Amino acid sequence: MITKDNVLAYIKKIPPTPAILKQTLAAINSGELAKAAKIAEEDLALKAYLKSLVNKPIYGFKNEVTDISQIFGILGLNGSQQVLYHYMLTLLTPDKWNLFDLSANSFQDLQANLSHHWKKVLSHLNVDDKEIESAIALLPASIIVCDALFGAVIEEVQLLRSVKALDYNTILKRLNGLDLFDICALIAKKWEMEPRIGEIVQAGSGIKPSQDEQNNLLGKWMHLLLFFELSQPATAAAGLNDFIDFQVDYVEDINDDFMEIMEIG
Amino acid sequence: MRAVVKDRIGIFNPQGFLDGTNTPTFLTIEDINATHTLKIDMLLVSLKKVIFFNRNGLDVFVKLLIDIRTKMHITVGFCDYDHKKYKAITKYYANDLNFSLFRTHKIAALFAGNNRDETKNVLVYNDDPSQRSSMAIELFDYGHNPIVAQSKGEFDEKKQNKEAYDVIIDDTHLGLFGQKVATRVTGNAIIYTVSNFLDAEISDSFNLTYHQNSLNVGFRLFIFDAYKVVSMNIHALNFFSKLASAAAEYNANICFVGLTFEKTPESFKNELEDAGILFFDNMDDILKDKETLKELGASSAAAVKNKRALTKIIVNELPRFIDATVSTIAMMTNATASKTGANVAEINIDTPEDKIASSIGFYGDLDGMVMLAFPKAIAKKACELLIGEETDDDEAILDALAEFVNIIGGRIKALLAEQNISVDITLPRTYANVKDLLNIIQDKKGVQVDLAFDEDTFVFFLTR
Repeated sequence: MITKDNVLAYIKKIPPTPAILKQTLAAINSGELAKAAKIAEEDLALKAYLKSLVNKPIYGFKNEVTDISQIFGILGLNGSQQVLYHYMLTLLTPDKWNLFDLSANSFQDLQANLSHHWKKVLSHLNVDDKEIESAIALLPASIIVCDALFGAVIEEVQLLRSVKALDYNTILKRLNGLDLFDICALIAKKWEMEPRIGEIVQAGSGIKPSQDEQNNLLGKWMHLLLFFELSQPATAAAGLNDFIDFQVDYVEDINDDFMEIMEIG
Repeated sequence: MRAVVKDRIGIFNPQGFLDGTNTPTFLTIEDINATHTLKIDMLLVSLKKVIFFNRNGLDVFVKLLIDIRTKMHITVGFCDYDHKKYKAITKYYANDLNFSLFRTHKIAALFAGNNRDETKNVLVYNDDPSQRSSMAIELFDYGHNPIVAQSKGEFDEKKQNKEAYDVIIDDTHLGLFGQKVATRVTGNAIIYTVSNFLDAEISDSFNLTYHQNSLNVGFRLFIFDAYKVVSMNIHALNFFSKLASAAAEYNANICFVGLTFEKTPESFKNELEDAGILFFDNMDDILKDKETLKELGASSAAAVKNKRALTKIIVNELPRFIDATVSTIAMMTNATASKTGANVAEINIDTPEDKIASSIGFYGDLDGMVMLAFPKAIAKKACELLIGEETDDDEAILDALAEFVNIIGGRIKALLAEQNISVDITLPRTYANVKDLLNIIQDKKGVQVDLAFDEDTFVFFLTR
C-alpha cells in the first residue's frame, strides 16, 4: 500500500527553506524585527499569507492589520517565528486535498486555532520560549503528510479501516516502521528547525513520550490540544477526528487543567 | 465517521470531545446512510477515546442508535467507558435509558446474537435486581454460564477470585434489546435459542440472512434450543416448515431440543417431522453423542447443495477479483505478487500442511464463493498489520485472517456494484488446516489461480 520507497520519495520531494524565508528567520533570530519585516515584504506570497492569517477572528484584532512590520511588531519575536513556520508548512500543502475535506482556508483556520490555544497553554505553564511557541506550527505537518501518502490509496485504506479501527499513523508505522511524526521530525530537520521542536512534536503524537521532562509535559499538552482541535466541527467534518490515535491515558493528569483554561464543561 | 464492523457488531470510535456543537459533524448523511445498510446485530459507540462529553453530544449518537434499532431490530448503545462515564450517562438519561451500556466491547460481544465463543463463566452484578436477572437470562440464552451476585458485598467478595471467571460484568445496563433470536456456534452446529410464544413475530426476529449464509458456507446442523418455549401457533409452524424445506436442499438438518407439546397441538409435531425436523429431549443427546453428530452432518462441514458451473459473468469478473485479492494482500504485506498459473479444475493445493485457509461467499444477483489457501508466513505477515505484532498464536492469526478475507469480500462487492451487480457477502470462515476447506469443496470445479508472493505461493479458488 505504502512502501518505504514511497515514504523516502516523499521526503526527498520536500523543498528546502526558500532563501527569503531563511533570511527573514535569521533576522528574527537576531532580534531584528524591522529587518525581518523588510525582507518578508519582498515575498508577495508570504506577505499575503501573513495578512490572511493574523486577520483571522481568533487573533482578535479590531482593525485589519496589513503592514508586515506591524504584524511582526504585534506578534513579537516568538509569534513572528511561529507564523513563518506556519507559512513554511503551506509550501507542503496540496493544491487539492484527497483524503481530508480541507481547503487552503480551512487549513489556515486550523493553524490559527492551534497557535491561539497553544499560546494560552504556554501562558498557563509560564513558558516563554521562541522554539517552544513555534513547535505547534510543525504539528499540522502530520496532516499534510497523511493526506499525501494515503490520498493515493483511499479505497484500500478505507476497506482496511472498515474492519479494524486502525488510525493512519498506526498503519504507516506497521507497514514501514516510520510514522507520521517521524516524518514531521525529518521535515523539521530538513528545514533546519531547532531539534527540540521535532522532539516536542514527536511527544505530541502521544505514543513517543520524551525523556526530557519539560518536552514530555509540552508533548502532553500538545496531544490534548490537537484532539481538542480535531473535535471541532470543521476539523471533524473534514474527517480528521480519527486520523491518529488519541492516547487518553497519556493526557489524563493534565485534563482538568486543560478543561479549565479552555473553559470547557 | 464510519462504524467498524467485526463479528456483526458495528462500533463507532469517536475521539476527543463530544458536545452538541461538534458531534453532529462526526456523522455525515453518507455515514448515517451507510450505517443503515450494515448487516449487523449490534451497533455501539465506543467512549474509550472520548475525554469529555455532555448530554447534547451523546444525544446525536443516541438519535442515530434509536433510529437504527427501530428499523433493524438490533441492540444499540455505548461501550468502553469507566465508572465515572457510566455514572454520567446514567444520570443524563435517568428517565429514558432505553439503550444499552456495556463497560467493554468484550462484554457487549457476550450479548451479541452471533456467539462464536465457547461457554464463558460470567460474574454479573447490577444494583437493579431486574437488570441482574435480564443479564443472566440473556447470557444463558447465548450459551454462557452466568453467576449472579445479589449484593455489592457479594460481588466485591466474588470478584477477588478472578481466576474463577472469564468475564466480570458491572457498570453495564441492558436497554431495549433487538429481540433477535439468540445465535451461537458450537463446533459445526449452529444453535438458535427461542422462548415464550412462537408466532408470526419469528419471521422478524429470526435472522434469515445469517441462516442462509451459514448454509452457504457449509453448516449442516441447526439446533433450536426450545426449552423455554411455551407454545407455537400456525404462523410459526409454517415458518419452521419452510425453513426445514429450504435446509433439505442443502442436506442440512434442523432439530428442536426441549420443546414440549402441552400447549402446542401434538399435530404440529407430526407436521414438523414430516417437513424433516427432528426432536430431542436434551441438548447433550446431540452435542455429546459423536455418532448422532455425524449422522446429523455436524462432524464436518459439507459441500454446498448443488454442483453448479461458474457463469460467464463470474468468469468475466475473475481478473478483477484476482486484482482485488492481490492488491489487498499487497496492501497488507507490502509484498508484490505474480500470477504463476490459472486452471479450471478441481482445487489442487501443493504442500497443504504448510497452509491455512479461508472462504467468503457472495450472494445476490449472482453467487459464488472465493476460497483462499495461504502459506502461514503470508497469513502471519498480513496479520501483523491488523494486530500490530508478530504472533504464533493460531487463534489470533485465524481471527485476523477472517478480517483480511472480509476486506477482500468487501472489495469484490464493490467491484460488482460498479457493474450494477448487487451482492451481499457472507461472514468469512477460516480453516486451521486445508483439509477442512477441501471437505467443503469436495470435487467441485472452479477456477484456481496460483499466485507467488516473494518466496511463497498462494491459492485463489473461485467456485459456486
